[in-house]
Amino acid sequence: MEFYLGLIQIFGVHTIIGLSAYVILLTGQVTMAQAGLVSVGAYASAMLTAMYGWHIVPSVLVGGAAGMVMAVLVGFPALRVKGLIFVIATLAFGEFIRLFWFNFIFQVERGGELVGPNSSDGFRMIRYFPENGWSTWGVAAFIWFWAIIIMAAIWWMDRSRAGSVLRAVGEDEVAAQSVGINLTAVKVSAFAASGLIAGVAGSLYAHYTTHIEQENFTVLLATFAIAYPLLGGLRNIWGTLIAVIFIQGILTEVLRFMGDWRNLLYGILIVLAMNFRPHGLIDANLTDRLKRMFGLRKSSNDART
Amino acid sequence: MDFELYEIIQAFGDGLMKGSTYALMGIGFTLIFGVMQKINMSFAAVSISGAYASLAASILFPEVHVFVVFGASIIFSGMIGYFVYLCCFKWIPLANPLATLMATIGMLFFLEEVVVHATNGMPLPYPAMPFDEYFEFGQYSVRGDLVLIFFMCLIATAVLMYLLYRTRLGIATRAVAQQPIAARLSGISIEKTNAGTFIITGLLGGLAGAMIASTVSVLSVLFFLPVTVKGLIVAVIGGLGSIPGAIVAGLLVGGIEEVALLLRGILERDIYIMVLLFLFLTLRPGGIFSKTFQRN
Amino acid sequence: MKSSLLGGVAVAASVFAAMTLGMSSSAISGERTIHIAGFGVKTGVVRSFGINTEAVLKAAVLHVNSTGGVKLADGSTGKFKLTFYDDRCKAEEGISVVRRIAGTPAVIAIGPTCSNVAEPLFGILQKKRGDASDSGLQMPIFTDTAIKGGLAKISDWAFRNVPNEANMYKALFAWLRTEHPNLKTVFGGVEQDFAHSRFTWHKVMKVAAPAAGYEVVGEAKWLLADTSFTTQVRAMKKANADIISISSHPFTTCGLLKEMKRQRVKPKIIVGLTSSSSMETLTGCGKAAEGIIIPTSFAPVTDAARFAAAKTAEQGGSTDLHSASAWENVMIIKQVIEASSVDAKADTVQADRGKIRDGLAALKTTKGLIGTIKRTAEGEADKPFVFAHAQNSQWAVLHDPAM
Repeated sequence: MEFYLGLIQIFGVHTIIGLSAYVILLTGQVTMAQAGLVSVGAYASAMLTAMYGWHIVPSVLVGGAAGMVMAVLVGFPALRVKGLIFVIATLAFGEFIRLFWFNFIFQVERGGELVGPNSSDGFRMIRYFPENGWSTWGVAAFIWFWAIIIMAAIWWMDRSRAGSVLRAVGEDEVAAQSVGINLTAVKVSAFAASGLIAGVAGSLYAHYTTHIEQENFTVLLATFAIAYPLLGGLRNIWGTLIAVIFIQGILTEVLRFMGDWRNLLYGILIVLAMNFRPHGLIDANLTDRLKRMFGLRKSSNDART
Repeated sequence: MDFELYEIIQAFGDGLMKGSTYALMGIGFTLIFGVMQKINMSFAAVSISGAYASLAASILFPEVHVFVVFGASIIFSGMIGYFVYLCCFKWIPLANPLATLMATIGMLFFLEEVVVHATNGMPLPYPAMPFDEYFEFGQYSVRGDLVLIFFMCLIATAVLMYLLYRTRLGIATRAVAQQPIAARLSGISIEKTNAGTFIITGLLGGLAGAMIASTVSVLSVLFFLPVTVKGLIVAVIGGLGSIPGAIVAGLLVGGIEEVALLLRGILERDIYIMVLLFLFLTLRPGGIFSKTFQRN
Repeated sequence: MKSSLLGGVAVAASVFAAMTLGMSSSAISGERTIHIAGFGVKTGVVRSFGINTEAVLKAAVLHVNSTGGVKLADGSTGKFKLTFYDDRCKAEEGISVVRRIAGTPAVIAIGPTCSNVAEPLFGILQKKRGDASDSGLQMPIFTDTAIKGGLAKISDWAFRNVPNEANMYKALFAWLRTEHPNLKTVFGGVEQDFAHSRFTWHKVMKVAAPAAGYEVVGEAKWLLADTSFTTQVRAMKKANADIISISSHPFTTCGLLKEMKRQRVKPKIIVGLTSSSSMETLTGCGKAAEGIIIPTSFAPVTDAARFAAAKTAEQGGSTDLHSASAWENVMIIKQVIEASSVDAKADTVQADRGKIRDGLAALKTTKGLIGTIKRTAEGEADKPFVFAHAQNSQWAVLHDPAM
């Protein structure tokens, strides 16, 4: 049972990571900075709980806020470019943050031991959950508490004008500008939201693995962050969730019997998925059909989400 | 720590020479972008896989000359490049850049994993180039093989330029890049042209992969991700789409990296390259030889 | 008539068969299964480690089972059953794998391979045995490979059987001092972004060399995926030290050694990192690595070591200082089970885990493949070692301090 609860924890954290990239992907840009933003939330909240004895909830909030601030900081210069140069810019930014943690040493003494980030040694003993007697089920519920709030927020935003504005910018910037949408404001807001979500993900990540180091936050994590929404589809948040369950659940655990062939499958499946379903697993057509099946939409003429 | 001026110049020179390999990578990325407006994230992987494949050939024929191994790397990479084209570009609608980006990322994972499986992750020795030694000039010394690579880089560029500006394939490539609809109307097959571009960049990549492997004379799967990142950065600093830009940027990044290492140490070395990239992105987003500014 | 006779024979035969089967199963029921788990990395760059560890574990388990099994509390015999899991050298997956193991009847888990999995994993274990307010996992972990310093103290449930590099290098530098009294200076090379290599230069080699009377005249640093060592070797050339001590893994060690050859940097002695005393270094740069001296906690210098190496080879793996620990772990676990009245019944799993943990914690010494291993209060090991050197692309024993 512990094992399944542990998996549910992983699903939760990775869904939040994927959603942080989702909001930026909606505006039509591909971001490779998520690993860096996640790391900011991770280190910030871990320092608060492990070094200063904060309670976990304000730590997660501060982690999110730190991610948001960092995202806006990178947002402004990166917004001067777009398209593929933006991808490289965000990738470099993510790496820059990781290199910062590579150098960062800041430790205090707690209970006779030095605790805190220690350059490439990493930051260990982030044991808020076990030290306070949280069960695996409790941690899973806590993680999903945040995941559900974030999913609900994005879902609600998508049904409101904000969602249409974001997607409009994503579809056609020139047209969006011509109807009076302030591109910079929209993009910076998307960045801020993405940073906040990534920061929350990082805080949870740090606490459920109890040890973080710069090696956890490389380009590989950034790639997975965008892979979840791209594979799942940008039509709605469910695609990201399903992609996470597919990759972390089915590929990693169900196919465990395939042993070392699993890693090969990652690459093959991504290539196949992009060839057969370039708009993701859950794209507009599938959403339409599912809705008609469940009677949520009377006819195919019904235009809204 | 105090360093004399000659040591700094020496470091810059060492880095400059090392930068020729970066330049080759940058050219590959920038060429695909220039022609197809897409990034092929698997380009470095193609190059390194080609080098590995050439190693297999050299194991089967142990007496073979080093340049034949390099040639094998070029050919194998060309083939792998075509394979990438098939998997990531042929059938995915070109209007969907996100899907092709993701697909090439998938290819990067796949190629890396194939190599890991084939080699069990162990580093393998790769033949070194001739002149793999230092030539002294007074206080300074220069690595012979790196100079050779630099010249190969220039030759490869010259060949590429010739291909692009003097052959039918080249003209077709540029036509497709600039005006796809008009090109198609003139009877140019977009598919064949794109496939050709991939094969050519694959060939170039094979050369780059072989060069990188021979400068350190070991091939390792650890190369895949860092070489990809380095190549992308060089391509962007040089200006996406500009071959001379990629060369200058490659050399520049190599040189700055080495001087940063000397003066500031290993922990900060890579930070300076990121800073360089940011400076370009904020002040001159189009790169060194920017054709057009890309502003919001 | 004939059919009823045949029928009668058939019935008798099946009754007889059932009785025989019944008897044989009751004969077998004097035997119970002791589930143990192994986990390590079988995918990715370092997959050779996991492949070797699994082979060693299989060989060790086979050996124990075929030489009388393990004595359980009620006098019956237990046979080990091994399940091996791949954690792909990822922290989240390692934690997930151990949770999965905890849900099976396994009484102990041997692993992991990667230090970056061990550190987070130990963090989710219960820190102090018996601390009811700590909801950490209560599963004994007995590490064979992950070697980053000082990890076992993270939890009372974590134990390691990995070499004590501090003692090994202290002994090596002291021995070098007596063998080569005219050498005075040491220059270091370190892979800065890998926890193990970084720790071993800064906290082990750099401490051991001055302790033996050497002067450390400088250090060069690089990253684990670096391909160019020009600037670093120039610094080495300038310092012109007698001994160069390289704390890095095979890939960059080879790159560095080849650059040293290019720049004609020839120290009198080259010392390497324990993890580089493997096949990888020899395959990558056998010629350039000629003569490099590395302390190792495994070499086929005793009958036990040679036996383990041979049995592992039959399972398709090879023994080196990393994988050989797994053999010792299995033997130690057998010893602890026999001394701790373990029941190995379906309903005693958690109690057995606790007994095994307590048994491991109480050990002061254990039998190793090349000598006696001392165990520390923190759950670490102090293993006997030899000094190996690369000769003609093979590892040979240069000096055995036990002799």
